[in-house]
Amino acid sequence: MLNFSPSEGSAAAAAARRASAKPGRTIRVSVKRCEGPGQDSRWETFSVKVDRGANVISVLQQIAANPVTVEGKRTTPVVWDSGCLEEVCGACTMVINGKVRQSCSCLMDEYAPGEGDEITLEPMTKFPVVRDLWVDRSRLFHNLARVKAWVPIDGTYYLGAGPREKPQQQEVRYKLSECMSCGCCLEACPQFNLEENPADWNTAFIGAHAISQARLFNEHETGKALRDERLEVLMGPGGVSDCGNAQNCVKVCPKHIPLTESIASVGRAVTLHGLTRWFKA
Amino acid sequence: MASQSFLDRHHFLLRRLHSLTGIVPIGVFLIAHLTTNSSLLWGKAGLRGTGDHYSFGKDGVTLLEGGVAYFQKEVTWINEQVPHLLLIELTLWLSIAFHAVLGVIYARTGRANTSRYEYQSNWRYRLQRLSGYLGILFIFYHVATLRWGWTFLVPGGTAWSHDFAASTLAAAIRGSETGFTAAGFAVALLYFLGVTLLVFHFANGLWTAAITWGLTISQRAQERWGYACFALGAGLMVMGWASLLGAVMIDPAKARAVEQSIQEGKVGESLAGQADR
Ligand code: SF4
Ligand code: SF4
Ligand code: FES
Repeated sequence: MLNFSPSEGSAAAAAARRASAKPGRTIRVSVKRCEGPGQDSRWETFSVKVDRGANVISVLQQIAANPVTVEGKRTTPVVWDSGCLEEVCGACTMVINGKVRQSCSCLMDEYAPGEGDEITLEPMTKFPVVRDLWVDRSRLFHNLARVKAWVPIDGTYYLGAGPREKPQQQEVRYKLSECMSCGCCLEACPQFNLEENPADWNTAFIGAHAISQARLFNEHETGKALRDERLEVLMGPGGVSDCGNAQNCVKVCPKHIPLTESIASVGRAVTLHGLTRWFKA
Repeated sequence: MASQSFLDRHHFLLRRLHSLTGIVPIGVFLIAHLTTNSSLLWGKAGLRGTGDHYSFGKDGVTLLEGGVAYFQKEVTWINEQVPHLLLIELTLWLSIAFHAVLGVIYARTGRANTSRYEYQSNWRYRLQRLSGYLGILFIFYHVATLRWGWTFLVPGGTAWSHDFAASTLAAAIRGSETGFTAAGFAVALLYFLGVTLLVFHFANGLWTAAITWGLTISQRAQERWGYACFALGAGLMVMGWASLLGAVMIDPAKARAVEQSIQEGKVGESLAGQADR
């Protein structure tokens, strides 16, 4: 009845759909298109013949090779972003069938297993569209910089070996370190919304990824040096208190990063930091 | 914008005060309030063992008569024994206003997306905001009519009186002294919705507050606390619904007779003493 599960869907159902997929079938691909920043968008549908193992990227390549809609209208190739093609860079993130995920790891056998099945592709809505499915994720990286999501080691002389990391700490941090800055957690978050104007980025909600990265580096023996600065940012406008606990982030994170635990952990850190600051002169 | 920068400058403090006021005093008051009000149903059991102070506690008294008498005893106690009652009330009203104003400001920073992400936790997020919006309207109506005496908002124009607590409450909720009216039915429905939403708001808010303050960090801890909040919420829900059930079931005329005899000192010496004052 009460559901606190950090994940969604059933892996078994997805596997069954993949097993049922018909090789050589033709599927329909609807794409939300946009010529450029600030321009109106429109939908275009393509018919694509797919084989086993096809993913969204290979489908988009087929469309690029023959950009003709189902109505027979010749159009421009669809623009998208991608990099690694193995779900580790995050560049290809888009909204597929209404939910955010990586397109390179999105298999047609699972999403459109039957003849004539349709999938929809949309750009993420929380970032400005550059063109078609390609968005500008600058704000995501800006927010990582806001919390100084790095280890301060640059200096003018050799600082020697860093302090030892405890294995238990490593275990927690390893999971957090898998974040690939894809933006899924932001796209699904009701508190993170499109901010066109970079001047607003420092007061709008920072997002689960940055909160979690702040925790990662706060728990690093050398990264700790910037702990107070990170917490100050996270206590401020757009910081961790702006999270509304919808917990969508943790469910859509492709790396299964325990984002809601990071949020609570940072919540505790700012509680203590705030109290300490209050009692300090 | 000056107000904007004030909010920004004290961002953390205001956020935490918003969270805190929801629990103390508002949440604590809610628990006490629903406990008292639900005595309309369980009050007869509460009278047992009070000896001759309350003859209505003796055999031959119906469940509701017992409830009316006990509820009257509670209300009288609150009005005459609780020190600085007005100060407590003012603190409560200010806390509610503070929690509500900031709550609306905060809620407006979000954009619900349950149509795309139909997770239960996302629905709770949405419902938390909806119950806040509707809940504050209900609280306003509730306090304005039954405490501030804005009787023009009460169908039938009943003014609540703490000397005739149950009968005037029942009349205000049923729409008339005699029976249910259509407008009364709407008021009862409003109470049902209001109480249900606010209990949810409190229980769910208690769950998220533990994350906000960093008390529950691990997934398991959040789950455990979730079940605890659910249990508390379920208990409060039963009490809230019991209060309302009591109020709609009570016949104002009969209740008034019970209260009249209490006020006239026919029932119990301690109440008689208070009525003389
Ligand atoms: S838990 Fe917070 S960060 Fe995660 S989706 Fe919800 S509001 Fe956004
Ligand atoms: S936390 Fe997860 S969803 Fe968010 S950016 Fe990192 S990998 Fe993507
Ligand atoms: S291309 Fe790198 S995650 Fe898909």
